Amino acid sequence: MAALIALSVNGMDVQVSVAPSTPLLHVLRNDLGLNGPKYGCGLAECGACAVLVGDTAVRSCTVPVGAVTGRSITTLEGLGKPEHLHPVQAAFVANNAAQCGYCINGMIIATVALLRSNPKPDETAIRTALRHHLCRCGTYLEILAAVREAALAPSDVAVAEAEETAS
Amino acid sequence: MTGPRDRPAAAYLADPDTLLVLRPNPLEGRDDELFLALDAKGNVTAFNGHVDLGTGIRTALAQIVAEELDVPFDRVRMVLGSTSATPDQGATIASETIQISAKPLRAAAATARVHLLQLAATRFALKAEDLVIEEGVVRAGDTETNRLVSFGHLIAGAHTRLFINPHAPQKHASQYRIVGRPQPRTDIPAKATGTFTYVHDVRLPEMLHGRVVRPPYAGFDSGSHVGASLISVDENSVANVPGLVAVVAVGDFVGVVASREEQAVEAMQRLEVRWRAAPDMPDLNAPQAALRGNPSTARKLADRGDVERALGATAEPMQRTYVWPYQMHGSIGPSCAVADWRHDGLTVWSGTQNPFPMRADLAQLLDMPEDRIVVERLEAAGCYGRNCADDVTADAALLSRAVGRPVRVQLTREQEHAWEPKGAAQVIDVRGGLDEEGGPAAYDFETRYPSNLAPTLPLILTGKVSPVAEVALMGDRTAVPPYAFGNLRVTVHDMPTLARASWFRGVSALPNSFAHESFIDELATAAKVDPVEYRLRYLTDPRAIDLVRAVAERAKWKPHTKPGTHGRAGDILYGRGFAYAVYVHGPFPGKAAAWAAWVADVAVNKVTGEIAVTKVICGQDTGAVINPDGVRHQIHGNVIQSTSRVLKEEVNFSSTAVASLEWGAYPIIGFPEVPDIDVLMIPRPDEPPLGAGESASVPSAAAIANAVFDATGMRFRELPLTPECVRAALNPLPASSPSNGNRRTARAKRSRLRFAWPLAGAFSGAIALGAGIFPFNAAIAPVARPLSDVFSPATIERGRLAAAAGACNVCHVGVTGTPFAGGRALETPFGIVYATNITPDEAAGIGTWSYPAFARAMRQGVARDGHHLYPAHPYTSFAKASEADLQALYAYLMAQPAVTAKVPQTQLRFPFGVRPLMAGWNALFLSSPPAPSDSARSAAWNRGAELVEGLGHCSACHSPRNVIGGEIKGAMHLAGGVADGWHAHSLTAKSFAPVAWSEKAFYDYLRTGHSAQHGAAAGPMAHVVDSLAPLPDADIRALAVYLASFNVGGETFAASGSIQSVIDAANLAAPKAAAAFPRGARMFAGACETCHSEASSITSLALNTNLHADAPDNLLHAILEGVSAPAASPLRTDATDFGVMAMPAFGGALDDADLVDLVNYLRARFAPDRPDWQAVPDSLAAVRSTHH
Repeated sequence: MAALIALSVNGMDVQVSVAPSTPLLHVLRNDLGLNGPKYGCGLAECGACAVLVGDTAVRSCTVPVGAVTGRSITTLEGLGKPEHLHPVQAAFVANNAAQCGYCINGMIIATVALLRSNPKPDETAIRTALRHHLCRCGTYLEILAAVREAALAPSDVAVAEAEETAS
Repeated sequence: MTGPRDRPAAAYLADPDTLLVLRPNPLEGRDDELFLALDAKGNVTAFNGHVDLGTGIRTALAQIVAEELDVPFDRVRMVLGSTSATPDQGATIASETIQISAKPLRAAAATARVHLLQLAATRFALKAEDLVIEEGVVRAGDTETNRLVSFGHLIAGAHTRLFINPHAPQKHASQYRIVGRPQPRTDIPAKATGTFTYVHDVRLPEMLHGRVVRPPYAGFDSGSHVGASLISVDENSVANVPGLVAVVAVGDFVGVVASREEQAVEAMQRLEVRWRAAPDMPDLNAPQAALRGNPSTARKLADRGDVERALGATAEPMQRTYVWPYQMHGSIGPSCAVADWRHDGLTVWSGTQNPFPMRADLAQLLDMPEDRIVVERLEAAGCYGRNCADDVTADAALLSRAVGRPVRVQLTREQEHAWEPKGAAQVIDVRGGLDEEGGPAAYDFETRYPSNLAPTLPLILTGKVSPVAEVALMGDRTAVPPYAFGNLRVTVHDMPTLARASWFRGVSALPNSFAHESFIDELATAAKVDPVEYRLRYLTDPRAIDLVRAVAERAKWKPHTKPGTHGRAGDILYGRGFAYAVYVHGPFPGKAAAWAAWVADVAVNKVTGEIAVTKVICGQDTGAVINPDGVRHQIHGNVIQSTSRVLKEEVNFSSTAVASLEWGAYPIIGFPEVPDIDVLMIPRPDEPPLGAGESASVPSAAAIANAVFDATGMRFRELPLTPECVRAALNPLPASSPSNGNRRTARAKRSRLRFAWPLAGAFSGAIALGAGIFPFNAAIAPVARPLSDVFSPATIERGRLAAAAGACNVCHVGVTGTPFAGGRALETPFGIVYATNITPDEAAGIGTWSYPAFARAMRQGVARDGHHLYPAHPYTSFAKASEADLQALYAYLMAQPAVTAKVPQTQLRFPFGVRPLMAGWNALFLSSPPAPSDSARSAAWNRGAELVEGLGHCSACHSPRNVIGGEIKGAMHLAGGVADGWHAHSLTAKSFAPVAWSEKAFYDYLRTGHSAQHGAAAGPMAHVVDSLAPLPDADIRALAVYLASFNVGGETFAASGSIQSVIDAANLAAPKAAAAFPRGARMFAGACETCHSEASSITSLALNTNLHADAPDNLLHAILEGVSAPAASPLRTDATDFGVMAMPAFGGALDDADLVDLVNYLRARFAPDRPDWQAVPDSLAAVRSTHH
């Protein structure tokens, strides 16, 4: 049965009227018009639907929207815009790290989560953190290059703080 | 918003200030086709009938146009594959876009360039050859005169149409400034920020959501049953799904439409559809016999010399068979489409490879003229061939027509896996041998490839196309070997499909080359010649020879004549293999795309059989390269994807359908396994560009198999090269593992044995006892329903907590979630018992019950009218509840909204269906001593005892029952029972828990639904935890104190560090478990490990009681039905994400045989000191039968 659910998405407070058991993915896409997260499997296997809850990457296809009330949710759109890319997005663009790009949402979200918990990951840490994100086009090498490049850049937190200071 | 639409060609044709380049339409009566439109602002719009399948072709085509026109790259916009705008250039297949369909576009640009130059020459009164074009500006060659004019100015003021002049001079490669240089993909910034519009992202006003329900013959599209298996659709089964708009059935096409996506999903899941049973199919898991038995027509592609005589003369004839499995395209995004059907026409937004053939399919499906249909092609997830993109477009069209509104349909992961036309299995026989000089005496090659064009599925399901498997002549790709064999015979056995199959990257060329390149490797070894050298002796194509030499040099190939030259380290054997191929596509003899060659380095673990492809040196001659970054990217993608196919990929089938329905059952390569890749591009700027989309896949299988031979000395001729097949060959185990059994017979028989209590002999005793006791109770007179204001708010509140403690709603909740409405079917050892409506409705509920009637029901199990209640209602426990609590509970229930719906009558099997027998039962088991109290114990303990033994009725589920359903007391009290088909584990020290339950663990679990030492509550217990939420903390603490007292010593056990030892034991057991159950290990890695890994915050499965229990039922329940998110956040401070996790239900995604393997693996891995579960298939059948 539908209920009024309050969410914080990409820094905005929003309310949606849906059944609390509705997968977060459907709410983000259909109620909030956010196309970054994609339906890939509905079984938390592939990672295409990943979003950040706090600083953690979660699979929005299996998270009921009622379970994230009051938590801070960030989607791909909340990281940066084409004209103002997040450092991880910039690294993905610079490395052409997509073919069809359907998985790129999860790859970027997982990378942001990884770098927030481990700013200087080694190769094993990178491959382990991304291991349950699937790419059928075989873009893994370009993605790995992008993650390595992003790990060399100043962290998103540092960039945000610097921008805040500057303004 | 009306959905992204490309501007139709007609609009460009109506523009006043424009220069258009067209091609006369080869079809009579059709409009000329538009290839190029330049406007007065200097913008260039270029049109191509092919589409971008995620390969970056949009960028490469724009480079070609910008180059030939001499305009800046960013002024060119590509329009691809819209039926209202672009030319019809057929399907985007066979890597043809750059090689073939870009040619007229390039000519169109050259035509426009000549025209613009001529305009400028006229304007400047100069000769065209004295002018130069730079960045869209024409300038007199003499810079001092400074005469300039932009394209825009030249175009302004006139509407000009040109036809493509194929002879218009085109640039020489030496003049290129844009083509041949790396160009960043134009689409990636939008894709990286979520602003790109895929077909999945199309939303229209008034748009509804559809889902389809497919027939049971999943993955098969031919045979008389196809399109004729639907018996009935029960629309009532979804009548109460919120937002439902329509249920649609046409032939075997079934779909649902709802307002919201999750509503459509719910309707899809709940819709009850009756189908005729799907017929048994030939065994396609071991496809050799099925393919050999499939009727075929032999087609000879080459026949020279005298093969038979030459073979007869060889000293050691070599006869080899190569077997390729069924494989999947495996798009990461299940196919999706939006359709907007109106009486006067249809628009679809589709991810099709084939916009124009798609339009023809829709016209046939809907009996609508093609000219009323527009196919807007948007990008989708990469397809690598024919996936379900066209199917879902037709699905959406059918559903939109049914409801008269726009409908978006996306397939589920399971549907995409099941129904995508597979890459077909292939069986290839090669006969050959060496002549006296060590050369190839003869080469006799026969290949079988059961694939066709896979007609769009709804056409077949609705009967528009008959379900007859057509034969397509596609088995001949690269079937002719590239070597100069003097005696050569090549035969392709053209045959219809078995499973639904169609083109998949590399088509038949990949398996055919697996055979060619493996066999020549064998010949080289037999001839004691280095494999590269041997190939070079018989290659004749100079570009092939150049490529092979260049790749060998790049790889620092060391000539060798026998395997084992790359050494070993302990159990790891190293090896290196070579293979070469040119991908030939299109109808025989076909056209060659790029040439490709591989050197693959492998490391093989001879104990486990695991193969790591550590490095691939891949060389490619692509002719002229448009975008080197794009080609490099395609080579990377081909190498990685084909490595995945060779090492891991194989579709499994049940006897009737595709059984691999998600990424656990069909694993693909992931980050940890990706090899290093060194790409070598042969510079050929003066040669025509060639297709690069598939070529680098083609040598993969042979290169890897040859490397494994180099490492191990063993030839593998059947794929995939899974650890178990490699291990079996290298180091055969004495006993076959259970998972090696034939999965087709591993399907469990549905049986209820797990729950069959030892009833025999018990009936007579019960009946005899019953006979001696007056079994009938008097009715208690009905009363008028008490008014709610009779009870004080304090009493009602106390009743609310009593209802919470008693978890009344766990059983009595209505089927649609209405509190206390009843109707749920409860699985009991006696049969199905329906929970009653306990709302205060006079007719359907307990509105006419007086308090004494209610109290009698609660304490004695006798309803108001005198009939006996079944002990599913735990009155033996409620008998111990306090009078005040029962009165308050009565008040609370009477204050609830009345629900008028009646619930089904419970009908148990004999003898339990005879309700008076319950009187005898009661005489045996209804003892009502008060709950234990002990003044020596704490107040919390005593309160806990009252709750646990009384209202909480824990023993109703957690105590074992005897043969006629009575709780066993004494030492077995709370020592484990059953609840709604789940095992309710022991709450005492007799628990299977690997770490004893402490007071804190009980508290965490009951308060939050999760204990860090044990995991999450699932099934009925999760509902109990939800129900307990209103109880004050002190009561939860009391429950924990009392329950912990049954687990004496537990806390010291748990605190002694044994948690880590349990986890360590599981980690240690992992390799052994994987060796015993390799398929289960893969299922775990693909389907479970995302969440159930050490890196995750979820409690290790090693600590989960269900893994250690005597039976796998709870584990099966959890996998099949999923586990909802816990009621509250976890208490673990090192993890913040657990609270938002939920486990999805895998019941619809996992095949029985896969599930059995998975469960066996889980047991071996996470409860290594416990014996394997026996009869898992029986348990699975029983659990499956308890839910749908």
